[in-house]
Amino acid sequence: MTKTLWRYSHLTLAISSFLFLLLAALTGIILSVEPITQKAKIYGVHNLDEVTVADLLPKLKAKYDEVTTISVESNRFVQIQAIDKSGDDVKAYIDPRTGNVLGVVGKKNEFFQWITTFHRSLFLHETGRFFIGLTAFLLMLIAISGIMLTIQRQRGFRRFFSKIHKDGFSQYYHVVLGRILLIPIFIIAISGTYLSLNTLGILKTVKESVDVNLDLIKSAPEKKIQDFAAFKNIKLVEVESIEFPFSEDVEDYFILKLKDRELAVNQITGDVLAESKYPFNILLTNLSLDLHTGRTNILWAIVLGISCIGILFFIYSGFAITLKRISIRTKNKYRSAECKYIILVGSENGSTYAYASAIHKLLLKSGEKSYLTALNNYGIFEQAEQLIILTSTYGLGEAPVNASRFIKLVAEYPQKQNILYSVLGFGSRAYPDFCKFAFDIHNSLSKQSWIKPLIDIHTVNDKSPQDLQLWAESWAQQSEIKLTGFPELKIIKPTLLKRFIVQSNSGTNTEGTFQLKINSSGKLKAKSGDLLAIYPANDHRERLYSIGIVDNAIQLSVRLHHDGLGSGYLNNLKAKDLLQAKVLKNPHFYFPNKASKVIMISNGTGIAPFLGMIDQNVEHTPCFLFCGFRNKLSYDLYNDFLNDQLSKSKVSQVNVAYSRVVNKQYVSDLISLEAEFISKSLMDAAVIMICGSLSMQKDIVKILEEVCLTKTGHPLSFYQSRNQVLTDCY
Amino acid sequence: MNNLIKISLLFCALVFLKPTNSSAQNAKYKCMIQMTNYMGEGAYIVVSLIDAKSQYVKTLYVLGSDKKWYNSLKEWHKYYAKKPSNISAITGASLTGGDRSVSNIDIEKSKINAGFKLRFESAVEDKEYFVKDLEIPLTTETLSAKSEGTGFIRYVRFSPN
Repeated sequence: MTKTLWRYSHLTLAISSFLFLLLAALTGIILSVEPITQKAKIYGVHNLDEVTVADLLPKLKAKYDEVTTISVESNRFVQIQAIDKSGDDVKAYIDPRTGNVLGVVGKKNEFFQWITTFHRSLFLHETGRFFIGLTAFLLMLIAISGIMLTIQRQRGFRRFFSKIHKDGFSQYYHVVLGRILLIPIFIIAISGTYLSLNTLGILKTVKESVDVNLDLIKSAPEKKIQDFAAFKNIKLVEVESIEFPFSEDVEDYFILKLKDRELAVNQITGDVLAESKYPFNILLTNLSLDLHTGRTNILWAIVLGISCIGILFFIYSGFAITLKRISIRTKNKYRSAECKYIILVGSENGSTYAYASAIHKLLLKSGEKSYLTALNNYGIFEQAEQLIILTSTYGLGEAPVNASRFIKLVAEYPQKQNILYSVLGFGSRAYPDFCKFAFDIHNSLSKQSWIKPLIDIHTVNDKSPQDLQLWAESWAQQSEIKLTGFPELKIIKPTLLKRFIVQSNSGTNTEGTFQLKINSSGKLKAKSGDLLAIYPANDHRERLYSIGIVDNAIQLSVRLHHDGLGSGYLNNLKAKDLLQAKVLKNPHFYFPNKASKVIMISNGTGIAPFLGMIDQNVEHTPCFLFCGFRNKLSYDLYNDFLNDQLSKSKVSQVNVAYSRVVNKQYVSDLISLEAEFISKSLMDAAVIMICGSLSMQKDIVKILEEVCLTKTGHPLSFYQSRNQVLTDCY
Repeated sequence: MNNLIKISLLFCALVFLKPTNSSAQNAKYKCMIQMTNYMGEGAYIVVSLIDAKSQYVKTLYVLGSDKKWYNSLKEWHKYYAKKPSNISAITGASLTGGDRSVSNIDIEKSKINAGFKLRFESAVEDKEYFVKDLEIPLTTETLSAKSEGTGFIRYVRFSPN
C-alpha cells in the first residue's frame, strides 16, 4: 500500500504547488545566469589564499587617504570603500596583491534584483515569502516521494541507477532525468526551505557583534600593521569583510568578519580584543545561500540552472502522465449488473487501461454489453458470462495499485452463475518477474469451481502487437466475436497468407484423431510451439493449431470434431492439396535454450508441439514426456515415433496415462505421483511445458501450486514469471 | 557692443560656475551607522538635510539600492517623488540587524550651525517605519559626537574628514 501513498502524495504535492513552482523555476533559471555573468568579469583573483591581511593592509594605507571597508565577495572579488588622496570617494574592485583598482563597482543589475525579489516573495511581501517557502518545502517532499517511487520502480535502492524500461516519452524521461536531478533539486529545496524559515523569522538567526570591553584596551606597545600577529595568520580567502577603525582613537578598532567568526583587533597594538564564533545557524544560512544561489561556484550555478529547467520538464511530463492516466478511463454505458462481458484492469501507469478500453469499445460496437472497471472493483456481476482480465505487474511481481485486493475479493464473492475468464498479462521480459501478477490471478481463478478459463493465459512482452494479436485471435475464436482492429494493426488480408502443400494425412484413427504433415511452398519459417492459423471458410473465422516441426515439415495433430469447422476442413485435405494459412509466432512456448531438463505435459493432441521439439532435440537436453490419451489406440499414432526418439535418446522418458480404460488415469495423476521429481527439477532450473486442454491445465496447475509451495517454498507464479512453467492450452 | 557680449558671456559663465564654486564650500564627514540586532530583512535608511520647519532640503545619503522599496520611507518618498534627483552616487547597500556602515557624506558648510537638522529615517519591509529614527541638529558639536537612534539604528557617529 505504501506505493499508493507515495504515488498520491507525489501527485498531490505536485498539483498543489505547481503554479508557484513554475514561477520559482522560471525565475530560478534567470537567476542562475547571474553568477555566470558575474564570474565572466575579470575582477576575480584566484590566489586569495596566498595573500594575508597583513600583506594587504599596509599597501592600502599607503595608497588611500582613508579606508572604510574591504569586503571579499563570494565570487572572490575584493572590494574597497575608501577615500583617495584627492579626497574623492572610491568604491572599486582591487587587486589584493597590489591594491590597484581593477574596476569600478557597478550598480547592482536592476533586472536581476527585480527577479530576485520576485523569486523570493512574488512581490507579495510576507505572504509571498510564506508561499515561496512553502513551495520549497513541498518541493522537498516531492523530491523525497520521487526518490521513493524510483526505488520502488527500480525494485530496490541498489538498482536505483540501473536501466530503466522505456515506457512512453513522458514516463521514461520523467524517471531518467528525475533520478539524475533529484539530488540537486533536493538541495535547492532544502536550502530554499531553510532560507525561507530564516527570512520568515521562524528560525532565530541573530548576528551578535563582538563585545569589546573598552576598559581593557591598551595603547601600547605600538606595532606596525604588517607585524600584527592576528593579521599575519588570516588569509584573504577566509575574510568576508574588514571594517577599519572609525577614528584613530584607541577605542576604535578593526573588525574582521571571517567565514566562521568575528574578530576585533586593536589598531595600535594588534591585540585581539574580542572574538566571537558565529552560531551554527549563521554558518548554515551561509551554506544554504551558497548552495541555493550558486554564488561561489560557476559550475554549481550551471547545475542549478539545469535543475530549474528540469523542474519545468517535470511539471510538463508529470501532467502529461497524469492526463494520459485519466483520459483513458472510459465511461461505462451500461450498469455492471446488466453486462455480459466484464473487463477488469490492473494498471499502474494506464497503458494497460488503453488496451482494455479498446476492447471495451469494440465489444460495445458489436452490440455487446460490456463493463470496464479496475480489478479492485470486482464484485457480483449478475448477468456476466465472461471476465476479461488485463493486468500489468508492478515492482517485484506485486499487484498494480488498482488490483491489490482482487485475489481476496474473488475468494469472498463467488459469482452465482458459471462464467468464463481469460487473463492477458502485460509486462517486459527486461524484468525478472515477468507478468507474475497475471499468473497469480490465473492460478487463483483456476482454483474456483464457478469459473472456467475460456482460453489459456496470454502474456504481452513490451506491448508486442504479435502477442496482443495472438490473444485477440484466441479469444475471438472462442467467443465468436471478432475484435477487428485490435490491436491497432493492419488487418490481415488473405494476401498475407502463405501457401502450404499437404504432404500426408494419416486419416482418423478409431478415436477420431489424425496427423497432418504440411510442407511450406517456400522456406519454412516456423518453430515447434508456433501456431498455424487457417481460415476454413475464407472469412473472419480463424482456427489455430499447435505446430510441431518433424523432419522439416509442419506436423499437426488434430482431433476431428463433429461439425468441426477447422478439423473437418483439415481432415478432408489429401496429399498434395494446397493450404492457405499463416504461421503465428508463439515464442513463449519455444523449447528452452537453457534448461537442465524439460518436463513436457500434454493430453490428447496437445502432444503435437512436443513431437517436433523432441525431434529437434539434437542437444540431447533431458526430456520427460507425460502424456494423457483416452486409450492405447489413440496413443498408437505416436508410439513408433516416440520409441524411435527414445532409442536416439532425444527423449529420456515417456509416461502415458489412459483415461478411458479400466484403471483409468489422467496425466495429472502421473504428475501427482512425480511430485518429488517435479519440485527438485524446478529448483534445478528445469522447465515445465504444458500443452493440451484447459481443463487438464487447471488440474496440473492445482497440483503444481501445492507442490511448489510445500516443496520449494515459492509459489507457482514465481516459476511461471521466470519462464520455468510454460503453457499453451486451448 | 562686441565687448558687451563678451562681458555678458563672462557673467553668464560665472553664474554657471557658481555652483561648482560653492561645492568647494562642502565639508566631508564620515558617518557611521550601527544597527541594532533586530531580525528580518534589510533596513532602508535615508539621511536627509531638513530645515527648521522640518522641510526636506537635500538627500545626503541612501542605504538601500532597490527603488521599489523607497516608498516604504513614506515622508522622504513624498519629497523625493516631487523632486527626484540623481542619488546613485550617494547610495549604498541596505543594512541588516547588527550591521554597521561607514559612508562619506558631503555637507555644505553654510548649513552647519544654521538651524538645519539631520534626519535619519528608517524602514524595514513589513516592519515598522521610523520617520525620526534619529534627528539631530546640524551643529559642529553633533558632527563629532555619537548619537543614539530610537528605531533600527543603535547609534550614529560622525567625524570630520
